[in-house]
Amino acid sequence: MIGVIDALRGVSRTAVTAGVTAAAVIASSAAAAAAPVMVLYNDRVVEVSRTLADPDDLWVIPDDLTRISGFALKGNRICLDRVCVPAPPNGDVRIVRSGQTWISMTELARQLKQAVAVDAERGVWSFGDVPATRASFLEAALAPDFTLPNRQGQPVRLSDFRGKKVLLVTWASW
Amino acid sequence: MSVAQDTGGLPAAEPWYERAKATYTTLVDATHRVSSLYNLVNVPSAVWIDEQGRILRINEGTYSRRIFLGGKFYIGTEDYTPAVRDWVAKGPASPFVWTPQQVAAKVRRRTSDEALAEPTFKLGVYFFQRQDQDRARLHWKRAEELSPDSWNYHRQDWTFTDDGSSGRNWTEKRDALGDTPYYEPLDLPSVNPPPPDAVDVGRPGSTPVPR
Repeated sequence: MIGVIDALRGVSRTAVTAGVTAAAVIASSAAAAAAPVMVLYNDRVVEVSRTLADPDDLWVIPDDLTRISGFALKGNRICLDRVCVPAPPNGDVRIVRSGQTWISMTELARQLKQAVAVDAERGVWSFGDVPATRASFLEAALAPDFTLPNRQGQPVRLSDFRGKKVLLVTWASW
Repeated sequence: MSVAQDTGGLPAAEPWYERAKATYTTLVDATHRVSSLYNLVNVPSAVWIDEQGRILRINEGTYSRRIFLGGKFYIGTEDYTPAVRDWVAKGPASPFVWTPQQVAAKVRRRTSDEALAEPTFKLGVYFFQRQDQDRARLHWKRAEELSPDSWNYHRQDWTFTDDGSSGRNWTEKRDALGDTPYYEPLDLPSVNPPPPDAVDVGRPGSTPVPR
């Protein structure tokens, strides 16, 4: 499994061993241009051209954070609907380098208890669901919404069927 | 609403949809997103969802009829479709509708490893879709380690091996289940019991499917 790490665990290790020095390491490496990465989020595949060179964490600019995940920087918090994480300036989640704000999507994921897998060699990051958004399913038995293509390639959203009974059946050709 | 859990996408699913002459909503789910969202680990699985988006049944093996696999081996039941029809006719008064407590008890809970398996499997799909089979299998193997109970992850992966999705790998893993059923059992009163000597291959201790 060379080159493949579980980013969430990697982040945890970084936090324990490096602590506040992590930001300093990033500062020294920020000048190096990082290669574009691909980010898998829900069913989106998003190419991100601007990142900080950091083998353990994925740093993106706020616009890309929103483009990837829907989360947005609002004041000193990062929020999606009612799910928010504190993001004070120059904290673990948010730093400023040469006037540019950067958000650590991996640290954000750690605080959200969101699973992350990465293929470090190929520069592909893959994010799981945010647990806080799963409470309505796990605790209130509400059907999680999704959008998937039909056979004509048109997007179909489950919640567009409100007002009707739905028998949702999974199957496979294999 | 039928959702193909198929990394191969539309080319894999379309022949089956055509043969079924499907008139219902037919979707293609290359990353197994629906299984992940509803914590399902096998196919076919069904979820009953009412007009307000509330789940009424979930997490059970749902063949729409009993299918005999040569001789006395079978999967599925004749009782499932009548139960669905009963729900459609009677709504919440149907005896097949579960209480919210029953639903909550039936929803599969994921471990942190199983939660990590989902983005890991997705990494594999990403490389598979870019014709990098070796890289895909690397991540799928990892997803299988993280989520050993996911038949979907295992069988999707085995599809692309010589052994196939229901070959020796599958037989061995299914036989190793012990007392754990291959499908979560259907909680339905049986109106059409199977013949006395019939063997449900979804149950533990049953003989492997003849191949």
